[in-house]
Amino acid sequence: MKLEKDDLILLYRNMVRTRKLDELTIKGLQEGKVLSFYHSGQGSEGLAVGSAACLRKDDYLWGHHRGHGIGYLIGKGLDGKAFLAEHYGKVTGSCLGISGFHFAEPEYGALGAAGTIGSQFPISLGWGLAAKKTGKQQVVLACFGDGGSNRGTLHEAFNLAAVWKLPIVWLCDNNGMAQYTPIKDTYPKDDIADLAGGYNMPGVVVDGMDIMAVYEAVEAAVDRARAGGGPSLIEAKTARYRSHSEGSPDVSHTVTRSEAEIAELKKRDPIETFKIKLLKQGVLTEEMVDQINKEADEEIIETEKFSLDSPPPEPSILNKLIYAE
Amino acid sequence: MKLEKDQLVKFYSLMVRTRKLDNLMIEALNSGRMAGFYHAGPGEEAVGIGACTFNMRDDDYLYPHHRSHAIGFTLARGISPKGWVCRHFDKNPGEVEGPTAEERGIFGISGTIGGGFPLSLGWGITAKKNGKNQAVLSFFGDGASGRGTLHESMNMAAIWKLPIVWICENNQFGQFMPIKDAFAREDIADIAAGYNMPSAVVDGQDVLAVHEAVEVAVQKARAGDGPSLIECKTYRMRGHAEGVPDVDHVDPRSEKDKEAWRKRDPIVLFKENLIKQRILTAEEVSKIDKEADDEVAELDKYQQECPVMVPSDASILDVFLYAE
Amino acid sequence: MKQTVYLMAINEALEEEIKRDEKVFIIGENVQQGTFGVTSGLVQKFGTERVMDTPLAETAVAGAAIGAAMAGFRPVADMMFADFIYIAGDEIMLKAAKWHFMHGGKVNVPVVIMAAMGGGMKIGAEHSMCPEALIMHTPGLKLAVPSTPYDAKGLLKTAIRDNNPVIFFYNKGLLGLPGEIPEEEYLIPFGQADIKREGSDVTVVAISRMVHMALEVAEKLKDKVSVEVVDPRTLEPLDIDTIVESVKKTGRVVIVDEDNRRCGVTAEISAQIFETAFDYLDAPVQRVAAADMPIAAGFLEDYVLPQPKDIEDAIERVMA
Ligand SMILES: Cc1ncc(C[n+]2csc(CCOP(=O)(O)OP(=O)(O)O)c2C)c(N)n1
Ligand SMILES: Cc1ncc(C[n+]2csc(CCOP(=O)(O)OP(=O)(O)O)c2C)c(N)n1
Ligand SMILES: [Mg+2]
Repeated sequence: MKLEKDDLILLYRNMVRTRKLDELTIKGLQEGKVLSFYHSGQGSEGLAVGSAACLRKDDYLWGHHRGHGIGYLIGKGLDGKAFLAEHYGKVTGSCLGISGFHFAEPEYGALGAAGTIGSQFPISLGWGLAAKKTGKQQVVLACFGDGGSNRGTLHEAFNLAAVWKLPIVWLCDNNGMAQYTPIKDTYPKDDIADLAGGYNMPGVVVDGMDIMAVYEAVEAAVDRARAGGGPSLIEAKTARYRSHSEGSPDVSHTVTRSEAEIAELKKRDPIETFKIKLLKQGVLTEEMVDQINKEADEEIIETEKFSLDSPPPEPSILNKLIYAE
Repeated sequence: MKLEKDQLVKFYSLMVRTRKLDNLMIEALNSGRMAGFYHAGPGEEAVGIGACTFNMRDDDYLYPHHRSHAIGFTLARGISPKGWVCRHFDKNPGEVEGPTAEERGIFGISGTIGGGFPLSLGWGITAKKNGKNQAVLSFFGDGASGRGTLHESMNMAAIWKLPIVWICENNQFGQFMPIKDAFAREDIADIAAGYNMPSAVVDGQDVLAVHEAVEVAVQKARAGDGPSLIECKTYRMRGHAEGVPDVDHVDPRSEKDKEAWRKRDPIVLFKENLIKQRILTAEEVSKIDKEADDEVAELDKYQQECPVMVPSDASILDVFLYAE
Repeated sequence: MKQTVYLMAINEALEEEIKRDEKVFIIGENVQQGTFGVTSGLVQKFGTERVMDTPLAETAVAGAAIGAAMAGFRPVADMMFADFIYIAGDEIMLKAAKWHFMHGGKVNVPVVIMAAMGGGMKIGAEHSMCPEALIMHTPGLKLAVPSTPYDAKGLLKTAIRDNNPVIFFYNKGLLGLPGEIPEEEYLIPFGQADIKREGSDVTVVAISRMVHMALEVAEKLKDKVSVEVVDPRTLEPLDIDTIVESVKKTGRVVIVDEDNRRCGVTAEISAQIFETAFDYLDAPVQRVAAADMPIAAGFLEDYVLPQPKDIEDAIERVMA
C-alpha cells in the first residue's frame, strides 16, 4: 500500500511519541517511580512503529522488549497511559500494576510479554496456529532480539511455522548486543536472516533505522502471510543507544562502549533521518515538526499525571488472579 | 586414506554381527523370553559402523544413536557385547573383559531424544580444552532434528569451532511421523548453512561413503576447523519398536518403499562389492557369517547362565545415586 | 452404566469434547496413531486439523498449545511421557501457570497438558516419573490424577472446559483397567476427593495407580484392620476437607504416592493434616512414596517404587 502524506506524518509522530515516552520512563526510574526495570528502546523506534503500522488491530503482536514493546503498540494505535501506569505499579496500568513490565494488551493483539527471552517463539507459534485455524487472515508479528535468536525455541518454532505454513512474520531486532554480549560472539555469521534458508522461508535483512525500509519489508511479509504463503524472517539492523537496562553498565563483555561508538550509532537515528527526509520531500515543515513535538510533550505531561494520580492495587486482588473463573 | 583389506573385512563383519545381535533381540522379545522394549535397526548398520570404526581414536567422545540400542556403535568401539546382551535380559553380566563404554567416550544415551546435542557440546568443549585433538561424534535421528537443543548446540559448536561431527541417521521416520511432515526442507543437512558449517548428504546404505564423509569431517575437527554436519540417508525397515504398529501417521507404511530400500541392504551391497572386487570369496563371506552366528549363540548362552538382577541386588542403587 | 477401560474413557472424553466445542483440538507427537492409545482413532473421525501430529519438539508442542489457548482455542497437548514436561518447563511452568495472574487477569490459558506418568513398564529413569509435586508446587496450574475410567473421563471433560491450564496425568499402569461409566454425559468437579473404600481404623490417602495398590492391601488386611481409602483425584485443587474428615474418624493415616518422597505430594498432604487435624491423630502420619533416587529400569524398578508390602508395613506402623 502506498503511504499517503498523512500516513508518513503519523509514522513520524509515533516515533516522536515513543521516544518521549522512553525518556519519561527513564526519568520515572531515576526518580524511583518506575518500580521495576527499564530497557530503553532508543534507536529502535523506526523498527517498532514501522512494523506495527503494517498490522490490523486484530493481528497478534509480540513486540520486542526494547522500550518494553510500547513503540509497537503506539504504532498499532495505543497511547502510553496504561503503559506508564503499569510501570508505576498502579492499578490503572495495563495489568493492574502487577506485571512489572511484562504486560499484555489483548485488545491490540498483544496477548502477553514474557520474562524469559526466547519464549516468544513457541507462544507466537501458538498464536499463528490459532490465526490459521480461525481463518480470518490474521497475522502474527513476532519480534525477538539477536540474543533471543540463540535460543533453541527458535528452531522448533521456525520449523513448525514453516511446515504448517503459519501466518507469522518473525522480526529480529538485531541491535548487535545481548545485554553485555555482542552478537558477533554468539552467532557465527553476519546475518541472522541466513537462518531462514534452513526452513525454506524467505529471510531478508533491512536497515532497521530506516522506517520506510522496515515498513516495506514487513508489509511484504505480512501480505504474504495473510495470503497463506507462510512465515518469513526479517532481520532489522538497529542500534541500542543506552545500556541494556537503565542503571546497568554499558559494556561489551567487560569493556565500556565508548561515547564515540554511541555517537556513530546515533548518526543513523531513525527519527532524525526520517524527519530530514520528510522535510526534504515537503511532507513536513519545521513548524509542523515543532507542533508534533509540542503535542507529544503535552501528552507526556498528561501521561505522567495520569500515572501519578492513580492508586496502587489492593492486595486483595491477588488471590482472585491465580485462576480464571 | 585408502582402507586395507582387513579393514574392509572388519566393516563387513561388524555389520553382520550387528544384524545378528539385532535379530537375537527381536526373536527374544517376540518369543517372550525377554521383556521390555526393543528398537531394532536392520538396514541402518552402515551409518554408525561406517562413521565410527576407523575414524575414531580411543579417547574420542561418542554420542551413539539409539537404533538397535547402539550395538553397532558398541562393537565398532571394540566394546564387548556381553554387557549389552545381559542388560536386555535383566541379567548381571559380572566382570566383562575389554574396555568399558566410558573408556571409549560413551557416557550414555538420553531417554529424552535431543538430549544428546547439548551433552555433546560439553564434550566438544572438553576436547578443545584438553588440546589433544580429540573429536566428538554425535549422532541423532531425523526425529531429533526437531528439537531446539539442536539449534543451541550447533550454533555454539560453530562459534567456538568445537571439534564435533554431527551425524544425522535419517531413517525417514520418528516413531510414526514421516520426516517429510516434520521438517521444512528435504535435507536436514541444509540447516548447517545457518551456522556456517560444512555439511554433506551421503548414502547411508554405503558403509564406505559414510566412512569417507566422516573421515573428512573428523580431520577438520582435529585440525581445529570446527564442526560439520553429515546427513546419512537410510531407512527404518521395521516398526519404531517391536510390537508397536508400523505406521505412517496412522496408515501402514508403504511396502513399496520398504521393498526399494530392502534392495539396498547395506550388508548385501557391501558383500557383493567385496566379492566382485575379489577382496573376499563367497566362502570367506560364509565363514564370517558363521562366526557371527556362533558368537551370538554363545552370547545368548552366556546370558542364560548369568544371574538375574533381582531387587536384592538393589543395594547397588544407593551407591549409584551420588559420586564419591 | 457401560463397561470400558481407562484409556477408552479418556478417548471418549476427548471425542465428546471435540464434538461439543469446535475450539478443542489435540496436538502432540504421534497423537494420530496414539503412543498409549488414548488419542487413537480420533483422526479418522475428526481429521488432521483437530488431531495434529507434530515433529519431535516438546517446547513447541506445549508452547503452541498454550499460545493457541490464549488466542481463543482449547487445545489438549499430549506430551507422551510425563517426564517430558521438564523439556517444556518455561512454557508450562512460567507461561501457562503465570500469565493469567501476571497480566492482571486479562489473559486466560484454557489448555490441557496431558501425559502418561508412572512406573510399571520398567523403562527407566526418564520414562517412568510421576512429576506431580512439580506441578502441585506451581501456583496457577491445576492437576488431575485419575485412578479409574470413571474419574478419568469425568475429570478430563472438566479439565477441557476449565478456563485455566490443567495438567492431566493419566497412568501408564492403568491403561487397560476396566471399569464402568454412565451411558450419559457427566462431569466430575475438581477438588472433590472420592472415598474408594470405607473403613474405620486407618485412612489411606492414595493417588492414581497407588489407589489400586491400597485397595489390594485393604482387602488383604480386612480381617485385621478396617482401611478407608481416600482418592483426592485432583491434587490442585486438593480436597483436604474430605481427607481430614476421614482422619478424624480413624485417627490414623498413611499417604501413598508414586512421586518421590522428599518434598513430594505425600509431604504436602501430611503437613496439611498435621496443621489441621493434629489433635485427632493417634499416631504420626506415615508416608509411602518412591525412594529418593531416579527410577531404575528393569527388575530394580520395584525397589524404587512403592510396593504393596510398603503399604502394609506403614499400616502396621500406624496401628502399633
Ligand atoms: C531465557 C532468558 N535468558 C536471559 C535473560 C536475561 N536477559 C534479558 S534481555 C537479555 C538480552 C537479550 O538480548 P537481545 O535478544 O539481543 O535483545 P536486546 O535486549 O538486545 O534488545 C538477557 C540476556 C532472560 N530474561 N531470559
Ligand atoms: C524428548 C523426547 N520426545 C519423544 C520421545 C519418544 N521417542 C523416542 S524415539 C522417538 C523417535 C525418534 O526418531 P528419530 O530421532 O528419527 O530416531 P529413530 O527412532 O527414527 O532412529 C520418539 C518420538 C523421547 N524419547 N524423547
Ligand atoms: Mg528416524
